[in-house]
Amino acid sequence: MDISVNGPGIYFSFDLPLLGTINVTQTFISLFVVTIGLVILALVVNKRIKKRPGGLQVIAEKLVTMLYNLVEDTMGKHNSRFAPYIGTLFLSSIFGTLIGMTQIFRSTTADLSVTAAWALVTTGMVWYHNIKNFGFKSWLKGFTEPIVVMTPMNIVSEIATPVSMAFRHFGNVAGGSVLTALIYGALALLSDFVLGWIPQAILAYIPKIFQIGIPAILSIYFDLFSGFVQALVFSLLTMVYVGAACPPPEELKK
Amino acid sequence: MKGFEAFVGVNFLTMLAAWLNLLILFLLLKKFLFKPIKNMIDSRQKEIDDMYEDAEKSKSEASDIKSEYEKKLENANIESEEILKNAMRRAKLREEDILRDANEKAARTMERAYEQVELEKKRAINEVKDEVATMAIGIASAVIERDVDETEHKALIDTFIENMGDGND
Repeated sequence: MDISVNGPGIYFSFDLPLLGTINVTQTFISLFVVTIGLVILALVVNKRIKKRPGGLQVIAEKLVTMLYNLVEDTMGKHNSRFAPYIGTLFLSSIFGTLIGMTQIFRSTTADLSVTAAWALVTTGMVWYHNIKNFGFKSWLKGFTEPIVVMTPMNIVSEIATPVSMAFRHFGNVAGGSVLTALIYGALALLSDFVLGWIPQAILAYIPKIFQIGIPAILSIYFDLFSGFVQALVFSLLTMVYVGAACPPPEELKK
Repeated sequence: MKGFEAFVGVNFLTMLAAWLNLLILFLLLKKFLFKPIKNMIDSRQKEIDDMYEDAEKSKSEASDIKSEYEKKLENANIESEEILKNAMRRAKLREEDILRDANEKAARTMERAYEQVELEKKRAINEVKDEVATMAIGIASAVIERDVDETEHKALIDTFIENMGDGND
C-alpha cells in the first residue's frame, strides 16, 4: 500500500533559449482545456442569443443577471463594469476545480502558481485603482494610517492579502485531493481487512468494495461544494478589495 | 509522467500561463458571453418598459377621453333639460296669452252683442211706439171723424205711451 501525494505532473519538457527548461505540466493542460471549454460554451450560447430566449439562453441570462446583481450589491452600481472579470474569475476557478473530478486532468486550482497568479491580479487591480482614484501620494500615505507606527503592519497586511487568498484557494482544493487520496488508501486497507478470509489468489480479482460509493460522496463535498465555495470566496474577496479601491463617483469628488 | 513539480510551490511559467489563460478567457467571455447577454437582457428590459409606458399612456389618454365625453354627455343632458324647461315655460306663457286673448275677445263680443241687442230693443220699442202712435191717431181720427192735427197730438200720445211703457219696464 503506497499513497503518493504529488504536485502537478510533468508531461514533457523542452529547452528554450533564454527561458531555459520549460516543463509542460498537468496544470498547463488543464488551464488550456478549461479555457477552450469555456470559450466553446460561450460561442454556443452566443450563437443562440435571441430576443425570445430558448432553454440554454434562459439559464445563461439567469446566471449573468445573478452575476451582475452580485457585483452591483458588493461593489456598488457604478462598478458593474467589473462583472465580466469577476464572472471569468469565478468560471475559471470553479471549472478549474471541477476538472479534477474527471481523474484525467488535475485541478488547476490545486497548483499554487495558478491561485497566486489570480491573487496577484486582484492585488494589481486594487493598487491600480487606488492610485488612479486617490493619487499615488495618498495611496502611499494610506500605509501610515491611522498612525505612523502601524506602517510595517500595513505593509505586511498588504502583502498578506494575496498570499492568504492564494493559499486559501490552493489549500482547500489540494487538501481535498490529499484527503481523498488518503481515504482511498484507508478504504483499500479496510476492504482487504474485511475480505481477508478470501484466498489471495481470488482476492486479487475482487474490487476493493469499500472504495465504491464512499469516495463519491466525499467528492461531492471536497470537489463540488468546496470548489464552489472557494470560487465564490475568491471572487467575493476580489470584489470587496477592488470595490473598496473604487468608491462611488460622488464620494470621490469630496 | 516524466516527474512531478513541488506540491506547494510557485512556478513562474505556470503563473504566466494562468495569466494568459485568464486574459484570453476574460476577453473572449466578455465579447461573446457577458456583453451580448447583458445587452440582450437590457434591451429586452427596455422594450418591456417602453411597452408598459405606452400602455399606461394609452390608458390614461383613453380615460381622459372617456371623462371628457362623460362631461360632454352630462352637459348635453343639462342643456336639453334646460331647453325643454324653457320651451315648456314659453308654451305655458303662450297658452296663458292665448287664453287671455280668447277670454277678452269673447267678453268683447258678448258686450257688443248686448249692445246690439239693447240697440235693437230700443229701435223696436221706438218703432212700436211710432206704430202705436200712428194707429192711435188713426183710431182717434176715425172716432172723432176729423183730422187730428198729427204733429199736435203726436206729442200727447208719445207721452202716453211713454208712461205706459214705463209701467211695463
